[in-house]
Amino acid sequence: MGLGKFIERLLQLIPVLLGVSIIVFVMMLFTPGDPVAIMLGDQHVTEELENALRHDMGLDLPPHQRFFKFLSNALTLDFGLSYYHRQPVWDVIASRLPATIELSLAALVFALVVSIPLGVLAAVHKNSLLDRIATVTSLFGVSLPGFWFGILLIIFFAVNMHWLPVAGRAGFESEVAPITHLLLIDSLLRGRIDAFWDALRHLILPTITLGLPMASILTRVTRASMLDVLNRDYITFAEAKGLSKTKILIKHALKNALIPTVTVAAIETGSLLGGNMVVETVFGWPGLGRLVVESIFVRNYPLIQAAVLFYAVTYVMLNFFADILYTMLNPRVKL
Amino acid sequence: MTTVTYWTGDAGTAKSETLFQRNMKLFASSRLSMFFLFITLGFVFMAIAAPLIAPHDPSDADLFRRLLPPAWMDGGDWSFPLGCDALGRDILSRIIFGSRVSIFIGVTVILVATTIGVLAGLAAGYLRGWVDIVISRLVDILLGFPYLIFAIALIAMTGPGLQNIVLALAYKEWVIPCRVVRGETLATSGVEYVEAARAMGASKSDIMLREILPNILSPVLVVSTVRMAHVIILEASLSFLGLGVQPPMASWGSMVADGRSFMLQEWWLSTFPGLAILLLVLSINVVSQGLRDAFDPRFHD
Amino acid sequence: MKRSTTLLALVLASALALPTAMQAQELRVGFTLDALTLDPANHRNRETETIIRNMFDGLVTRDSDMNVVPELAESWTAIDPTTYEFKLRPGVTFHDGSPLTAADVKFSLDRLTKENAMGGQTSPRQSLLGPLKEVVVVDDLTVRLILESAWPILPAMLPFQELVSQAHVEAVGQEGMAEAVNGTGPFKLVEWRKGDSVIMERFDGYYGGATDIAPLGKACVERVIFKVIPENSSRVAALLAGDVHIINSLPTHLVGQVEANPDTTVMAVNGTRTSYIALNNQTGPFADIRVRHALAHAVDRQLIVDKILNGNAALTNGILSPDALGKNKNLPAYEYDVDKAKALLAEAGFPDGLEVTMDVDGANKEIAEAISAVASKGGFQINVVVGEGSMLTTRYRTKGEPIDGQMWLTSWGNGSMDPVGIFVPTHRTADRGNSSGYSNTEVDALLDAANIETDRSKRADLYSQAEAIVNADLPKLYLWVAQDLYGVSTKLTGWRPSPDSRINLHDACLK
Repeated sequence: MGLGKFIERLLQLIPVLLGVSIIVFVMMLFTPGDPVAIMLGDQHVTEELENALRHDMGLDLPPHQRFFKFLSNALTLDFGLSYYHRQPVWDVIASRLPATIELSLAALVFALVVSIPLGVLAAVHKNSLLDRIATVTSLFGVSLPGFWFGILLIIFFAVNMHWLPVAGRAGFESEVAPITHLLLIDSLLRGRIDAFWDALRHLILPTITLGLPMASILTRVTRASMLDVLNRDYITFAEAKGLSKTKILIKHALKNALIPTVTVAAIETGSLLGGNMVVETVFGWPGLGRLVVESIFVRNYPLIQAAVLFYAVTYVMLNFFADILYTMLNPRVKL
Repeated sequence: MTTVTYWTGDAGTAKSETLFQRNMKLFASSRLSMFFLFITLGFVFMAIAAPLIAPHDPSDADLFRRLLPPAWMDGGDWSFPLGCDALGRDILSRIIFGSRVSIFIGVTVILVATTIGVLAGLAAGYLRGWVDIVISRLVDILLGFPYLIFAIALIAMTGPGLQNIVLALAYKEWVIPCRVVRGETLATSGVEYVEAARAMGASKSDIMLREILPNILSPVLVVSTVRMAHVIILEASLSFLGLGVQPPMASWGSMVADGRSFMLQEWWLSTFPGLAILLLVLSINVVSQGLRDAFDPRFHD
Repeated sequence: MKRSTTLLALVLASALALPTAMQAQELRVGFTLDALTLDPANHRNRETETIIRNMFDGLVTRDSDMNVVPELAESWTAIDPTTYEFKLRPGVTFHDGSPLTAADVKFSLDRLTKENAMGGQTSPRQSLLGPLKEVVVVDDLTVRLILESAWPILPAMLPFQELVSQAHVEAVGQEGMAEAVNGTGPFKLVEWRKGDSVIMERFDGYYGGATDIAPLGKACVERVIFKVIPENSSRVAALLAGDVHIINSLPTHLVGQVEANPDTTVMAVNGTRTSYIALNNQTGPFADIRVRHALAHAVDRQLIVDKILNGNAALTNGILSPDALGKNKNLPAYEYDVDKAKALLAEAGFPDGLEVTMDVDGANKEIAEAISAVASKGGFQINVVVGEGSMLTTRYRTKGEPIDGQMWLTSWGNGSMDPVGIFVPTHRTADRGNSSGYSNTEVDALLDAANIETDRSKRADLYSQAEAIVNADLPKLYLWVAQDLYGVSTKLTGWRPSPDSRINLHDACLK
């Protein structure tokens, strides 16, 4: 495995990106609704202004020209001007991306931190009370509608208990000069504990809402995989040799058991990024998901096309990453 | 043309039938699974018998009953056990009728998606070559779209409504059974009875449909039940975003959405339909977990 | 062990200590939408304008009663119907300290009106300045606005525009203007966290503000934050929890809860958005005037206002809102009368009732369903179909082409409070907001005459006459003008909501 495979994967990216762009473009073409009319709403406009705006947006060109212009510009990472914000799409997306990344990462960390110990313990103490609780909880976790659960959390923790804030990402006091644009990390790097705490308080409820389904899936995967590993010959062999159970667990079983967990996590992270929009809407989280949904409603084509490309690239990269992880952790499998 | 039944084919199918039956018996032995299977069937019954069980007409609106609290609270009325919504419609009746939408969408989307996915997966896995390349590329491209965004864009294109929601969800859903089936087909293509069938001159479609398909049904069944739960939540999310079924049709998701700005005080508008979603989806998930446990040889103690 | 307890204590201490210190002088607004841009010339969006207006002043502005009052301009005169001269207030500086001069005024207005004047883009606000042809700098504190044709509403339309610094725009460029703010307003920009909040702080060099709006001087609070909370329940929850001090778009059914809470209260103001049902006057059942009248008798509007809008709306029998110029106060109402409705339907050929389809967008779904429920007793079976706003606009606002649909529950906003912004587009033959296919040459003539009439009372009279004719024709079922509801903290003083949706915080104080 090495550079060759990497290049091969990169090349695979091209038809996917092209396909995604074409599909989105065609869908937008057949979607009724005029971006100019939407932007102007009820307001009074002259015909010249309407034409001028249409020209600014490039809507006076025929479709195939628009598409090729988009493609050629995209190669230089120029995605044009957002119709709605009248600023470069790149800037608009870039300003909303860190929030989504931070939330997704937090949900991922939450899911891993909860699912791995829970899944391992459930497998080790199979059929015990803990196991049953873990199974039931994880089944609940994938059955909860996120939007409903999120609202319940807000009502309980924010409105009734006043423990946590209702919406948003951080208060004013938590202004920290950005390094990574991820508030939790930046506030630590700058030594601002108060900002860290504030950002964390805002992050808790959306993270739980977003991460719960994933935690549930990973718990079950971990448990199943751990059970599988514990039944393997080499474990029985180690037990027979007289090694302590904990030692067996940590030294031999864990690493192999976590392979499916980690690979599934890598793949599911893609759906975390995509499934963000409901959670972002409920919690007023200023991320990319909400931006994309809003863009569809106002027919903000350039932004939609750029965002979809971003998601496609992320998905392919995550899959590739999952494959690499798999081969790294499981030396018996060659890519 | 194939009036001759090959001996190996017979044994193969006979073997898989017994295995299938054996696994199903194992499934039935789990009390948990059976319990939730009954709940699921209960919902199905609720959906079918809705006009008979619902105490009121779900579209019967009366502004004077607006936001009536549930029966056990102050101001409640036992003829409207779970209270009334913003237009004075009985919530219990709307939940009962709403089960039709959730189950219809869940079942239809999965049926359509599984049919297409299975056929595509079989073709890709068995025929290989160009067919495989095209289908696999298509799968990759569709997977690169986040689910909700694709569905929203499709509905923006076609307009809302029950039919369009089913299509919007099915458009992406088929890739999942397709991938599973393709993988399984690749694995079984080299198996003996398939080789034998090929040697006997069976046509490609015969092989795909008669030999391979019956043997991969179990994973398809398991995946379908898991995905059904997921699809029901997706439909609820779409309704929540405002792209759901048309009024006065009640879908649980749109009920939660309609009630969400009332959550602070009149919590019953969103809570009960939300619980309905939770219960149905949970039941399906438990059943699918049971199926998985029953069919997975590793768990046969 | 010890280190972690100290850390824990530190964290807890800072968390608890934080809120009290900062909150006293920080005013937070829970707002429905984020600003699209911070460039006053590059948007056409009410919410953006509301936020920006705290950082940029204009030549003139409106007070809470919607009167046009001088702001950066000290006075103005109309030299002739096409020339207006504005005298600027001396001693005004931008946030960066540079002085405001007439050259900046010319630059700002040119930027708004000339094609491709903004780095190759045309300002979407161009048409708000109508026939403005040229801006001439007379001296450092005097400008002349020259129009192509007489436009009596120029002063009424100027509050929509804000002034920018020419030097600043040239320094940061068109793209920079979206985020870098240098205005003359009472607050200056601290940070714009996109999608999350706009943070401003007091500009101590503020010239004082519009002389007709007391108190003058710098702003009362040190800092203002517009927090973006689109979700209704979350926004109200934030108000109830004390996280914010003002929220806009308070849903009517939560009025009770906000009133009941000891720390919050509700403030209402008459809105400028008229809600109505556009009926297809060209084809289909509603082409018959009797069917339209029948519908008017079949819908109990007051019941819907009482039950669904909590009484927070004023019924209207015409398109103009109750406080608008030219409002005809004597328009006859079509009383709620189920028998009359059925009789009219029978007369029109529908003795067994009529089944129709009403289009609506998601936001108004509840009202549409309520109307449908109520109208069923009057012989109308109305099937509600929810669609996307943009698609419905395309189908109904056809500028004279055939309309695909029967009824559309919608509304039209009138930010300038002048009839020309609502009456003309919705009722003039083939105009851009005419979603009924309505055409009456008498009405057209009256509207055209009012457009160029300079005498205010004569204009009012023309509009009143037009309203009377329209009321008889009933091309649309006129419903109500909803109030704009705001939830505010009891700690807030010095602020009243404004019908034009502005939230100007210059005079707002926190106790």
